[in-house]
Amino acid sequence: MSRPTKTYVPSPEWIVLDWHHACIETDALCIQQCDKCGRWRHPPRRCCPDCFSDSYEFRPVAGTGSVRSLAVSHRSLDPGWNERAPYAVLLVELDEGPSVLAATDLCPAEIEIGQPVDLTTERRSDDFSLVWANPR
Amino acid sequence: MTSDVWGGCAIVGVGETDYVRGGDRHVCDLILDAAIEAISDAGLTPAHIDGIIPPPGYMSTEEIAAHLGVPDVAYHASILMGGASPTASLQTAAMAIAAGVADTFLICMGWNGYSALRPKPDARPTKRTMNLGPMGETVRNLYAPYGLMSAAQHYSLYLRHYVERYGVPEDAAAAVALTCRDHAQLNRKALMRGRPLTRDEYDAAPFIAEPLRKFDCCVETDCATAIVVTSIERARDLPHPPAVYLGGAEGHPQPADEIANRPDLLELGIHRAAPRAFARAGIAPTDVDVLEIYDCFTYVVLLQLEALGYAEPGDAASFVADGNIGLEGRYPMNTHGGLLSQGHCWGLNHVVEATRQLRGTADAQVPDAEVALVTGYGDLGDGSVAILGKDR
Repeated sequence: MSRPTKTYVPSPEWIVLDWHHACIETDALCIQQCDKCGRWRHPPRRCCPDCFSDSYEFRPVAGTGSVRSLAVSHRSLDPGWNERAPYAVLLVELDEGPSVLAATDLCPAEIEIGQPVDLTTERRSDDFSLVWANPR
Repeated sequence: MTSDVWGGCAIVGVGETDYVRGGDRHVCDLILDAAIEAISDAGLTPAHIDGIIPPPGYMSTEEIAAHLGVPDVAYHASILMGGASPTASLQTAAMAIAAGVADTFLICMGWNGYSALRPKPDARPTKRTMNLGPMGETVRNLYAPYGLMSAAQHYSLYLRHYVERYGVPEDAAAAVALTCRDHAQLNRKALMRGRPLTRDEYDAAPFIAEPLRKFDCCVETDCATAIVVTSIERARDLPHPPAVYLGGAEGHPQPADEIANRPDLLELGIHRAAPRAFARAGIAPTDVDVLEIYDCFTYVVLLQLEALGYAEPGDAASFVADGNIGLEGRYPMNTHGGLLSQGHCWGLNHVVEATRQLRGTADAQVPDAEVALVTGYGDLGDGSVAILGKDR
């Protein structure tokens, strides 16, 4: 299935924008890491939920994880995604700990919970990159 | 004057528009129609109202007060928990009344749930919008870019996990959908009155977002509801038997503003709210006679029944399959048809129905109903509980 090119692209601001800029600059999936205790966290937050430090950096992660759950949509209000229906969006738990949503080239029937996946990012604008997860 | 928070106030007036799709009533008129009916039902006038909790969007406290002619608003609060808001509002009203900050609250909810959200040929749109609160940013930035734009899609992320973890059978969801539809046949205002649903029709309906089929999803409606809440002392002087607010609570999952990074995807706001509510009301789940459970989606009802203690985690299927939730059952549920078949008024319609059950005036009346439990559920998993009882 070819990847959709015309889908909704948001214009994020604040620390969500910083996250996307990090992914775009490194051309890799970056995740926020606490400078004090080293905990990885997502989505971007001002403070570390473990140690309350607000010193952090967005750093590239290994780009590996496993499928925790998925949303199989049989329709979407976004025409670009609706063309692929029924299509799956994966909830992927990264090996570093946090979970991200990711598009996938897999059909819903091909996906198993716990399945290992590799993650990549696709730049969709100067301020937004889409996360993809596919079998390694 | 100050009094107890729990058991110190009661619902004394209810108002409810028809549940329709389309129509020519402006959303502000719907809200005010319900408010006028609730104040009149309570045997009061706008001059008695000194506290207002407005809908999460569409109309402000200031406008509602001005259009009704409420002369002196002493306190107001906006509760932003999506569908958990109206049921949680009772807690705010009870605290303010007990503290002596205000004496009589108007709580209202109304929207063009059918006409305003998506373009429709027979719809009357409005320029007014709901306040999406915390959900707007998360959906806009994190979910919608993946085509996940509706609540059915967002919730499917954990409902699918629920089905996978426990092997929840489709029979359980179907039992909830069919029970609500059965009850709607008896409710004079239900959108789905006269349109019964069979199991074959349920099974034949397409998936929206797995595991949710069409009839697992509530019905979009244009509607409004309102209630009046006052101190138990004043309530005893008013026309209807008071529906006493015995106790209630709200709860939020962690983090509340995002689904994907919760340590347990099935640990939701209701799990935190339920034990607090039972403790405050001083009752056990088995003391309840009627359940009005927030039913945006059938599987969400199952999760809540487990969180409330009516079934072990993952086993709500046996509870709903045993006939517990029908009108003749031990715990008649959603006796008005619920959001699934009466209409979607953010669960304030559940509070209205619970009040009528305790008055003994419901269209589908449960004999001798003395305690009714209402839940609210909204945004990305916030929860609320209200336990109402007859005055003793």
